Amino acid sequence: MYDVIVVGGGIIGCSVAWQLAKRKQRVLVIERTDVASGSAGATDGFVGCYTKKPGPQLDLAIKSVQMFDTLQEELGEDIAYQRGAGGMQPVEDQTQWDMLEKTAQLQQQHGLDVRMISAQEAHKIVPGLSTDIHGALYCPDAGKVNPMNLSFAYCRAARKYGAEFMNRTLVTGFLIEDGRVRGIQTEKGIFYADVIVNACGSWAGKVAGLAGLDMPIKPRKGQLAVTEPIGFYMSPTIQCARYNVIKFHPETIKDETVLRLGSSMNIAQTEEGGLLIGGTREFAGFEGENTLEAIDTMMKRVLRFFPGLKDVHVIRYFSGFRPYTPDGMPLLGEVQALPGFYMAAGHEGDGIALSPITGQLIAELIVDGRCSHDITPFSPNRFSA
Amino acid sequence: MGEELIICRCQEVTQEEILQAIADGATTVDGVKRRTRACMGLCQGKTCGRLVQGLVARETGQAAADVPPQKSRMPARPVKIGTFGGPEDV
Repeated sequence: MYDVIVVGGGIIGCSVAWQLAKRKQRVLVIERTDVASGSAGATDGFVGCYTKKPGPQLDLAIKSVQMFDTLQEELGEDIAYQRGAGGMQPVEDQTQWDMLEKTAQLQQQHGLDVRMISAQEAHKIVPGLSTDIHGALYCPDAGKVNPMNLSFAYCRAARKYGAEFMNRTLVTGFLIEDGRVRGIQTEKGIFYADVIVNACGSWAGKVAGLAGLDMPIKPRKGQLAVTEPIGFYMSPTIQCARYNVIKFHPETIKDETVLRLGSSMNIAQTEEGGLLIGGTREFAGFEGENTLEAIDTMMKRVLRFFPGLKDVHVIRYFSGFRPYTPDGMPLLGEVQALPGFYMAAGHEGDGIALSPITGQLIAELIVDGRCSHDITPFSPNRFSA
Repeated sequence: MGEELIICRCQEVTQEEILQAIADGATTVDGVKRRTRACMGLCQGKTCGRLVQGLVARETGQAAADVPPQKSRMPARPVKIGTFGGPEDV
């Protein structure tokens, strides 16, 4: 008998398990394959607020990013967190500038240090950046982290507090008695707990389905590339402004390929010196192969902003699934229709950055019955009629 | 020699680190890779992949052929960004 069973050993499940175990809960984590084998092992490590929509999501991100300041120390492992690396969004025209400026003003009201800068100023911060841009949004406080290190650090910290991890175990169903959850069925047997946390990221919709619940989380494929290590090239994490346009105003995009692939550009240099380049958001079910069409589009987009990178070698293309939700916000909290069943999933591209606060708030909710930060805007019940 | 032996030359990962990763729960080459960075370098595991596979097999009591190798991805050899990213952006 466990107090809580967490389904999913990704960045969110491991964070939730750590926070629960720290609060003296008996925790079992059930993972289909291995820790960080899904999206947490197939992404970049952007930790910033500047791409978040002003409102509840931004407030949550601000809290979460603050937690990164002490996270490495608390976890006792190197997570390669670079605080203050900076975050930048080059804009290409006046329309993008106006869109980002408006967002930036709202973000400033939430207390975020974010500003619009000229092409020359942007070029000064990142000398490799083309001067053929209209300007940029800049957020000096953004950071970056190694998402795999962070997942394993959460996992090992959770185990230090007694959490158990059961890898290579497929969940096949849930035990439901008198309208509430009592346990979980797996290939390896039945395990009992009155609280279950669904932290299955892109797979959370499927897993909720096993309990008869309809949670609107869909996988959205993001293709990425990693280059050979090169010397120091850039400090900030960079996302072209089209990322926001696709996220918040997709109706303004005319090009059908861009829209279908959701192709923008993001780039960051890792501690090891490789450049992590990303840039697609595609609905392709759980099909995760790289496509020449997307690679072609991504690489062109990188050279649009960084023409000097043309001779740098890509050593690997890869992809990860981002858990998409209809309103772009995660599902956090207990499911009304099934007491004891909690959702902690649907973070789309924000899972790494939001992992610390998600773990803390879900653990507070389960252990104390209330959260130190209002999570009602993220209620998993908001989609039911 | 022994545990200080470098298995992954690109990322300078030692045998000891790989054994630690296996003790930490890695049962596949990808599991070792995500914990240690072995196979993540310039050669993408072309040199060390089989060595890692062998270590996982030995430590987990399996035949090497039963240990899943890392997921294979493009490109087979490093390719310049400019080879794909032609002059015009869409």
